[in-house]
Amino acid sequence: MSKPVLEINNLETFYGPIMALRGVSLQVQEGQIATILGANGAGKSTLLKTISGVMDPEKGDILLDGKPIQKQDPDRIVRAGVAHVPEGREVFPFLTVAENLTMGAYTRNDTSGIQSDIEMVYDYFPILGERRDQQAGTLSGGQQQMLAIGRGLMTKPRVMLLDEPSLGLSPLLIKEIFAIIRRLNKEMGVTMMLVEQNANVALNVADYGYVLEIGRIVMAGEAQKLLASEDIQEFYLGVTGETQRGQKRWKRRKTWR
Amino acid sequence: MPDGAAPATLDLTQFDGCRTVPELFANRCKKHSKQTAHREKDLGIWKSYTWDEYWNHAQWIGLALAKLGVERGQVVSILSEDRREWLYADMAIVAMGGITNGVYTTDSAAQLKYLVNDSGTIVLFLENDEQLDKWLEVRDEMPTLTKVVVLDRDGLRDFSDPMVMFFDDLIAMGQQAVREDPQRFEAEIAKASPDDIAMLVYTSGTTGPPKGAMISHSNMIFQMAAAMPALEVFENDEQLCFLPLCHVLERLVSTYAQLASGVTVNFSESAETVFENLQEVSPHTFVAVPRVWEKIYSRIQITRAEATPIGRWALDQAIKTGMAKQQLEEAGKPVPSALLTRYRIWEALVLKNLRRMLGMDRIRRGGTGAAPISPDLLRWFAAIGVPVLEGYGATETSGIATFNQRDENNYGTVGMPVPGTDVKISPEGEILVQGGHVFQGYWNKPEKTAETIRDGWLHTGDVGRIGNDGALTITGRIKDIIITAGGKNITPAEIESRLKFSPFISDAVIIGDGRKFLSCLVMIDQENVEKYAQDRAVPFSDFASLCAATEVQELVKTEIDAVNKEFARVEQIKDFRLIDILLTAEDDELTPTMKLKRSFVEQKHKALIDSMYAA
Repeated sequence: MSKPVLEINNLETFYGPIMALRGVSLQVQEGQIATILGANGAGKSTLLKTISGVMDPEKGDILLDGKPIQKQDPDRIVRAGVAHVPEGREVFPFLTVAENLTMGAYTRNDTSGIQSDIEMVYDYFPILGERRDQQAGTLSGGQQQMLAIGRGLMTKPRVMLLDEPSLGLSPLLIKEIFAIIRRLNKEMGVTMMLVEQNANVALNVADYGYVLEIGRIVMAGEAQKLLASEDIQEFYLGVTGETQRGQKRWKRRKTWR
Repeated sequence: MPDGAAPATLDLTQFDGCRTVPELFANRCKKHSKQTAHREKDLGIWKSYTWDEYWNHAQWIGLALAKLGVERGQVVSILSEDRREWLYADMAIVAMGGITNGVYTTDSAAQLKYLVNDSGTIVLFLENDEQLDKWLEVRDEMPTLTKVVVLDRDGLRDFSDPMVMFFDDLIAMGQQAVREDPQRFEAEIAKASPDDIAMLVYTSGTTGPPKGAMISHSNMIFQMAAAMPALEVFENDEQLCFLPLCHVLERLVSTYAQLASGVTVNFSESAETVFENLQEVSPHTFVAVPRVWEKIYSRIQITRAEATPIGRWALDQAIKTGMAKQQLEEAGKPVPSALLTRYRIWEALVLKNLRRMLGMDRIRRGGTGAAPISPDLLRWFAAIGVPVLEGYGATETSGIATFNQRDENNYGTVGMPVPGTDVKISPEGEILVQGGHVFQGYWNKPEKTAETIRDGWLHTGDVGRIGNDGALTITGRIKDIIITAGGKNITPAEIESRLKFSPFISDAVIIGDGRKFLSCLVMIDQENVEKYAQDRAVPFSDFASLCAATEVQELVKTEIDAVNKEFARVEQIKDFRLIDILLTAEDDELTPTMKLKRSFVEQKHKALIDSMYAA
């Protein structure tokens, strides 16, 4: 197997006295999409925030191309090649679409490269090109999500962290955004770590998946293997086993295999 | 008769003048009436239920069962977690002359079908929708069953089926029946005879299908008369009920010890909350299987590792002092006053808090049985001020056959026979038992009964020896004896219980029958090993990757090497493998009390075993 782009070992992160990550280890391989599944409060966003330097881990290593990046300031981590597309988009509402994208390239100084990359983003998201001079705050939720992804791309990342891109979007838009995510991965070779509640779309786009429960990884495997697991089907995909009564309220016990 | 056996005047066929279980039940309900019999948590709050409620519910259920056509000598099965309705139904069935059979909630639909059909169950109690679904899967294949009673209606509001009724409807039916014939219940109680069968307890046969052991009223009366005085359970005590009531041990503790003494039984919410419930209840006596004692020990080891250096030092000193005191006491030597003073200080500073943290600040006596336990673990508990007494028994002895006592605890042995019991060792080394608790045989399996009770002695299938002091030591199961390719006989249980003493090893199975050397399959303790790996920055994701980590393999090897030192060369483990699947009680390899089942393990993990002998 090739060397992982991102390798995380025994990560522990706290919110005050609360231990949110209880020793997480995982790897993201070059050119792959790895997805992290988990319920609310499992620690998914905390994991991304710890990687991008917004939070500092108490313990553990984060290796980008084999070099440790943990506990560094977020701007240095961005320069090192990690782009974080946060939950809830967080675009700059009073800047235009074009300005937002330029902000994404803040760490770069190759003017011509930046210009061509902005065009590349408009290529993938034509609607952003049409609205390049519109204030970002006036865009729809789906368009803002596209802008947030585009802004992340502008850093030319080694790995892109996507925090719930499907949040608050209609099923049709989710399909559209994930189609673009898949294209970015296939065509541009962008390595991605995707955090999702929507297990179905995430596992269909990802190569590899991890299941996070209360700060620990309980299951790991190829996306196809996870899709086939009975536990994933019942707890993340909402497939309940057939019963004689035609309805089922109780849950099977999780075995994670 | 050996020392410690019953004096001739002790009548073990009656307890407090009662010769049958229903007679005693009626007597106790009258005696304790408004006192609390059971406590159960409802939406997070402990609620009390009196002996009167015990009696009334038993009467209602009993008469309703009669209306449903249950006759004397017929079987009613209960498939539910521990809860007061379990005991209500149990006493109702027994009072009406029926036979109670418990089914484990972890049993599959196919197992349920087998148990219902083998016992000829007429009425089946099911706890909730989950268990109902199990029954629905196999309903057409259980011809003897006429009615199913579901305890919880949650999630079943729209469900209706002519064969199914809900618990509240059953109660209403019973109340009507009492109005029609108020004397009926007591009349049925009076009909009971000591020879009637009170319960079936299915033993998980390692070979062949499970067999239902028939336990009579006289068996249980004998248990109470012979064992209760020494068990020290009293009226104002608290107990925690958490092991499956289908198992003879918990039934004896939560149903019969309660009838005998009037102790309050508190039901644990679930298997996951036992330790929290233990803290809340703070019982006076606590009987558990070795797995639970091992877990408590390893919890303290973990807390210790996380404590401040001073806290850790204090705990170590306290336990060291406790150990020193325990050693002298075990050797029967006087404890010097200097040591005693030191112990009292540590007791006040550390041990008392430790016990409070565990929910054992009121504990008079702990008990363990049903599986081997490491004597060092018992010594450790004695050092922190929790005397844990090991006993021995089987389903076929209706519970307890031998046990240790507080003033005479022979560590490593299972103690002396209870009064009225004779124990001897056969020429093959098998433990044979005689006494009023020896069961009545296997349900509909006279040939199996004849194999087990021969020449008036119960052949337990366990191997052991009797010391000069009369105390019995168990060395293993006769079927488990390993004969290596070199012709050496080895009883694996001793080695296995040493391995389990390690906080990192949850259970182990020694392999080696007909092989060149001994090896073992290890089930690691997930919580503790994860912590070990995390503390040493050993990366892992899921359970399989944890088991595969070199450092974890090394850790287990170190633990095995330490155990190897205590055994002779032929008894040493030369190789091992970890079972890298997280097993649950639903898996065939585990018993409901989370013990590995040798035969299933050997079968299911054959490839793993073969890989150790491949070279």
